[in-house]
Amino acid sequence: MSTAQTTPDQPLSPTTGEPMTTIARRSKAGLWTLIVMDVSGTLALIISYTYLWSLNVNGGWAPPGASLSYSQTNAVPAKSSATFAADWPFWAIFGIVVLATLAMWFGYREGKKGNQSGLIVGSAAALLISIAGLVAQWIQISTFPFGAGNGAYASAVLLLCASNIFHFLMLIFLLTGVFNRARKGLISKAVYFQAQLMSYWMVWICIAILLGALCTTFLQTSPNTDPAIFGTFKQE
Amino acid sequence: MSSTTATSNVFGSHVPQPAQHGQPGGIMRRLNFVTGLIGGVVLATVAGVVTNILTPSGASTATFAPAAPDYVYLAVLLGWVIGFMAGMGAFVGPIRWMLGRELTHADAEYLAGKDLGWRRYWKFTTDHKVVGVQYLIMVMIILGFGGLLAMLIRTELGVTWAEVFSPSFYNSIIGTHGIAMIIGMIIVVMGPIANFIVPIMIGARDMAFPRLNALSIWLLVAATPCLISSLFQGGVQDGWSVYQPLASQGPPGMLGYQMTIIVFAFSTGVASVNLMVTILTMRAKGMTWSRTPILVYGVFAAALMGLYAFPFYQYSQILAMSDRIFNTSFFDPLEGGSVWLYENLFWLLGHPEVYVIIIPSAAVLMEILPVFYRKPLFSFNFAVAGIVGVVALSGLVWAHHMYMTGWAPAVNYPFMLSTEMISIPVGFLVLVAIGTMWRGVVWTRLPVMAIYAVIFNKMIGGVTGIYLSDVPVDQYMHGSMFVVAHFHYMLMGAGLFGAMGGVAFYFPKMTGRMLDERAGSIGLWTAFIGFQITFGSMFVAGLQGQPRRVLQFDSLFNISNWISTIGAYVIGIGMLIFLGAIISSWMYGEKASSNPWGSKSLEWQTPTPVPLENFEVLPVVTERPYDYGVPDPYEKDMDARDGDLDTEKVGSR
Repeated sequence: MSTAQTTPDQPLSPTTGEPMTTIARRSKAGLWTLIVMDVSGTLALIISYTYLWSLNVNGGWAPPGASLSYSQTNAVPAKSSATFAADWPFWAIFGIVVLATLAMWFGYREGKKGNQSGLIVGSAAALLISIAGLVAQWIQISTFPFGAGNGAYASAVLLLCASNIFHFLMLIFLLTGVFNRARKGLISKAVYFQAQLMSYWMVWICIAILLGALCTTFLQTSPNTDPAIFGTFKQE
Repeated sequence: MSSTTATSNVFGSHVPQPAQHGQPGGIMRRLNFVTGLIGGVVLATVAGVVTNILTPSGASTATFAPAAPDYVYLAVLLGWVIGFMAGMGAFVGPIRWMLGRELTHADAEYLAGKDLGWRRYWKFTTDHKVVGVQYLIMVMIILGFGGLLAMLIRTELGVTWAEVFSPSFYNSIIGTHGIAMIIGMIIVVMGPIANFIVPIMIGARDMAFPRLNALSIWLLVAATPCLISSLFQGGVQDGWSVYQPLASQGPPGMLGYQMTIIVFAFSTGVASVNLMVTILTMRAKGMTWSRTPILVYGVFAAALMGLYAFPFYQYSQILAMSDRIFNTSFFDPLEGGSVWLYENLFWLLGHPEVYVIIIPSAAVLMEILPVFYRKPLFSFNFAVAGIVGVVALSGLVWAHHMYMTGWAPAVNYPFMLSTEMISIPVGFLVLVAIGTMWRGVVWTRLPVMAIYAVIFNKMIGGVTGIYLSDVPVDQYMHGSMFVVAHFHYMLMGAGLFGAMGGVAFYFPKMTGRMLDERAGSIGLWTAFIGFQITFGSMFVAGLQGQPRRVLQFDSLFNISNWISTIGAYVIGIGMLIFLGAIISSWMYGEKASSNPWGSKSLEWQTPTPVPLENFEVLPVVTERPYDYGVPDPYEKDMDARDGDLDTEKVGSR
């Protein structure tokens, strides 16, 4: 009648009676598919950024006040002094999420070895660092030298940062869960797959934030100095 | 009641249980569809009122329209979705997980709807069979709504001597009909049949993530009113593809469309994750890939395409919403945006979506054929290759929708080639169907009739699709009624008729009753005849040059449109008869045995109605699912020379 081959020391899921290793395998497959879904969403933003950067339609990629190495071709007269964002905050936020990931990995490795307090400390540290990352991201958005209406660059950067905020909020929710569950012994040496999957997920978040930082740092001034000009029809 | 040392007998294993707080199910006992409605309406009202108060008077959008209607409508939509999902109990599971409160087996059984009777259909129930039935009802509602709009469209186009609707309302029913039908068709197999049947078919007790399953259906329920409400906010004015910059300049109703897609894409995403993981990790012992039924392949392929493609569609709408609400300029050329960006993001889903619709539908038919022809599926490997080929090419064909937009003319020909190439794996599937039928002894029942309809329609839709994939032909045909007729042949002619066959086939297992075949057949063939009249005539109008989405047209096209409208009413009558057959059979139909078709696959080996846990003991698979008429190697008296394609032998078996 039993649904699975179990050994006496193998913990079972209280809801389905399956070995936790089976649940772990299933959850891992779920994580990979979720990452595929999030990769597609992130790629949509990266494609949007690089596409608009490469086209520079109407010379409207750069914010109106940005100093460019070529003649300003924006058909619309500059209406603000908005300029490109500084590079370093993107990398600072990337650094923060890497730090959080390292903390989580430390916690996961310690938990796997049986050091429960190490797991708790690691997940708590990852949680606190992620909260710091969220705050830093918010500060960056609210201090950008441009607004949402200052051209395609501003739009693309703001949405990349909004994506970061979404990822940080998810991290905070998940890390709170991991921390609470570690505290209650639900994640432990015997059942550690949730900490493991959390670590994997955080690696992907690092990559997602890194892609954004790479774009905003190295793809700033559009290479297209002779862009298509629309919307300037004149009646002869 | 609280105990940390209690154990529970879970499918034969004594499993330690966490503390049980109160009655099983906890707060979920109090939450249902009514509390969802209350939560949605209350939060939508509060959000709308607060936003209206906070919006500065005189605020305007980037297109100089008043901003307040946009902001208020968006707040109402967000409030509705969040409030409804909270009222349904969608957030209870994640919060419990976050707080570290484990479910007991009794909790899980309550959430799966044990002993709840009909009430389980109105709750956040996790049992895949309940979710399948919920999907079936939602599909009928969405397709019924879209079909009603289709009747309005044909009425307007058929009444050539007068204007029935204003151009603005006509535009909005065109767009709303389009997206409602697309949503309905995407879920018509992937919702009811995949959720109800696939876990049983692979020998599993439930889906991999039961709560995600409930989340996917209730997100769909939350999204539907967003789309319907858009009709009262100016509607979706520029077709289901809502091209920019028209969409940004359209009325607030566009936000209803965008919210629908954002929520629906999330629903589809979690459903895809669930189906894929279920198939990958929960197949019964012995169910190797060569013993896995072809429907499972079809569902997996569609889920995979949905998984990678839907986020592009979702993000295209997030960016469009951002342009509208936050004044960003992704699609505004004056500020450095590009409408081609929108078109690329949109069609990156827009074309794989066609295969998300067609592949599961084709797979259902390939599931039906061996049962009614009592023959193995002709070249199982060829069928799998066809599905794999479609998945591989599905992401490389999107730009054939953009030949005439002026985007990158240099890539038109590579996309023409890839589009023509995809007809090869699609052709595999048709050949497999025909090969299975070849020299078979058919037991002609309603599901088989649907196959004949699908093969006929798919041939016409497929061949005209090859015409349209050619750049020179498309230059003439693009934006004409010919295109409309073509994609209706594929999506409705192949997709919907196939789904009707699937519903007829699985109806006994899903409802415990036999579908009234007489009424069902009359409905199917009436709709089929109406379909040929409607869209055959539309091909003619298209060849004559009638543009699509245009309310007023030259009298040259009158006759074609009259015929099309008469045909559309015939389709409507046929569909109503089919729907009536479903409803009456569900209520009063003849009780079904557990395996009325004599099928060999696992789902038919369970009792009907299927018990909560599907299988008392998980099955072990020892043979392929379509070994009809194949000599049994364990029968010593079997003549070794018997061929599996020998019709006499096949018939006798």
